[in-house]
Amino acid sequence: MDKKMFFGEYGGQFVPETLIPALDELEYWYNKLKNDDKFKSELDTLLRSYAGRPTPVYKAENLSKECGCEIYLKREDLMHTGAHKVNNTLGQALVTKYMGKNRVIAETGAGQHGVATATAAALFGMECTVFMGEVDARRQEPNVKRMQLLGAEVVRVQDGQRTLKDATNAALREWVASVENTHYIIGSIVGPYPFPEMVAYFQSVIGIEANTQCKELGFDPDCVVACVGGGSNAIGIFQGFLDNPKVEIFGVEAGGVSDKDGEHARTIGMGKPGILHGAFSYLVQTPQFQVADVHSISAGLDYPGIGPAHSALNDSGRVTYGYVRDDEALNAFRMLTRKEGIIPALESSHALAYVIENKDRFKGRKVLVNLSGRGDKDMAAIMERGLV
Amino acid sequence: MRGFYIVGGYPDREQFKKCLNAVAAEGFEFIEVGIPFSEPVADGPVIASAIHEAVMNGVDIEAIMADVREMKQKYPAIKATVMTYANIIHGYGEKRFSDDFGDILSGVIIPDLPTRMHYWMIEKGLSIPIIPFVTPVSRDEDIEAVKDTKAPFVYYISIMGVTGSDKKGAVNNRSETAKKLTGKPVVTGFGIRTKEDADRAIAATGGFVIGTEVVKRQKDFDSFCKYIAQFR
Ligand SMILES: Cc1ncc(COP(=O)(O)O)c(C=O)c1O
Repeated sequence: MDKKMFFGEYGGQFVPETLIPALDELEYWYNKLKNDDKFKSELDTLLRSYAGRPTPVYKAENLSKECGCEIYLKREDLMHTGAHKVNNTLGQALVTKYMGKNRVIAETGAGQHGVATATAAALFGMECTVFMGEVDARRQEPNVKRMQLLGAEVVRVQDGQRTLKDATNAALREWVASVENTHYIIGSIVGPYPFPEMVAYFQSVIGIEANTQCKELGFDPDCVVACVGGGSNAIGIFQGFLDNPKVEIFGVEAGGVSDKDGEHARTIGMGKPGILHGAFSYLVQTPQFQVADVHSISAGLDYPGIGPAHSALNDSGRVTYGYVRDDEALNAFRMLTRKEGIIPALESSHALAYVIENKDRFKGRKVLVNLSGRGDKDMAAIMERGLV
Repeated sequence: MRGFYIVGGYPDREQFKKCLNAVAAEGFEFIEVGIPFSEPVADGPVIASAIHEAVMNGVDIEAIMADVREMKQKYPAIKATVMTYANIIHGYGEKRFSDDFGDILSGVIIPDLPTRMHYWMIEKGLSIPIIPFVTPVSRDEDIEAVKDTKAPFVYYISIMGVTGSDKKGAVNNRSETAKKLTGKPVVTGFGIRTKEDADRAIAATGGFVIGTEVVKRQKDFDSFCKYIAQFR
C-alpha cells in the first residue's frame, strides 16, 4: 500500500500506535530539511569544521603487498568521536533542533553511537539519555565514561542478552513514554520508516566523498567492502557506487565463533525475514519465531537484525553478504595495526578481514574498504585476548 | 466489557490453564492471552519479566492455543483474544494462524502493528479481526482510519508508555471520539489497577482490560482469584 516505507518488500512501521504521530512529524521535517539550503549548509559546515570531513582515502601500501591487491581505506576512523556515527548524530540533532524538541535518547552497542549522540547533544545544549546493555557497558567501559563526561545519562540495560538489541528495546520504550518532547536518534539504518531512509541519507556523505576521491586518484574501485551491523556505515559507502554496475559490493557480517545457535550474528547468512524494532527485514530467529541470541566479539555487530535496505540489496543480488569469524577479525586488527600503524575498530576489522581471508577473489583488484571507526574503545577486549 | 490479560504458558502450563479458566468462570466478557515474544517493547518490567521467563522455558504456541480451545469449549460465551507481537504471527504464518485459530478467537491484539500496517498482515491472509488502538495522541485522521473495524472493540491506551506505567497521557476526548465513530465499545487498557479505575473506564467508554496487576499474581492462584473477583 504505502510503498515509500519499503525497500523492496522490507521496511514498514511496526511500532506501537502511540509513535505514529511522531514518525509522521519526523517524516515531514526530514523531507522538508533535506531540500532546505539553510539546513544543508549548516550541516555541511558542522561536518567540515567540527567533525573533520572530508575524511581521506588512503592507500594502504604495506597491507596491499601482503594481500596481493590494492587496498584503499576510507578513513572514517578519523572522524570526531572516532567513527562514522557522528555523520548521523549531527544530522539528526540538527533535525531535532528544527523540530523544536530539547531532549534526545539513543541506544548504543559499541558505545560509538552513544558517544556521538552525547557529543551532538552537548553541542546543541540538549538533554541526552543513552541506553546501553550491561554486557556492552562492561566491554566498552571507556565509552560509558566518555558519555557521562559529555553530560549524558547512561542507562545500563539489564534485560535479555543485555546487548544492543536490548538497549534498543529500552530506548523504544522510553520513546513511547516521552515522545512529545524527545527525539530518538537511532544509530543505524534500522527502525521504522523514515529512520532507515534518513540515516542512510546522513551517511551517504561517505560514499559520495569516496567516489569523488577515487576519481581524483584516477580510478573507480573494482570492489567496495564494509562491515554490517545494522548497516549504516555500509549503506553510507555503498551509496557512492551502487549505480555503477562495474563495482562489486560486499557487506561483511559477524561470524562470531561458529554457525551454531547463539555463536554468530549472521543476520542475512543465517536469518530469515521477520519483524524487529519497527521493520520487516532479515532476522536471526529460533524455530519458534523468537529472536535468537547472537554473538560477536564486536559489540557494534552483535545484533540479530539488519537494516531493510540491506535485505533488499541481498535479495536483488546487487550486494554480496559474507562473514568472517572473531579470530579472523582479530587477525586483521593486528595486521593493520602492525603494517600500517592504524588501530581499527573491531567492527571495521571485519571488513578488512574479509579481504585478507578471500585474497584470491580480490587478487590484483582495487579494493575500497570502509574503515568505519578506530579501535581505542576496544582496548579491553584486545587485552582480554592477550594481544598486548 | 471487562477483560484480563494473562501470559500464555506462564508460569507453567497447568497454572496458566487454571488462571485462564478462572477468568472465564467468573463470567467476564473477554480474555487476552499473551503469546510470549522475546522482545516485548510495549511492556513494562512486570509483564516483560514474565514474558522473558516464559521465553526461557520455551514457548509452545500450539499448546497455549489448545488450552484456549479447551476453555472456549467449556465457556463459549467469553470472547477470546490473543495479544502478541507481529513477528510471532508473521512467523507462524498469517493464514495458517487464521485457519488454525480463527474459530476460537474474536480478535488479535498486536502492539507493534499500528492501524496503517494492518493491511500488511491482512494481505498475507490474516482474517481474524485486528483490534485497533487509539491513544491520547491519536489525531482525528488516525481515529477515522479505524471507523470500519470488524473488531469487537477498540483498545484505548490511556497512558504514554508501556504496560504497568503510571504516566498518564493528556486527558482528552480521544476515546469518546473513537466510540462515537466506530459504534464499538472502547476498552481502556494500560494503567488500570483498582476497582475505581475500572469503574471509571466502564462509565467513560464501556470497558477495561487489566494486565500488569493480574500477571503479577499469575504465580499465586489464590491471590489471582481474589484479585479478579473484585471486578465481578
Ligand atoms: C566503528 C563501527 N563500525 C560499524 C558499526 C556497526 O554499525 P553499522 O552497521 O550501522 O555501521 C559500529 C557500531 O557501533 C561501529 O562503532
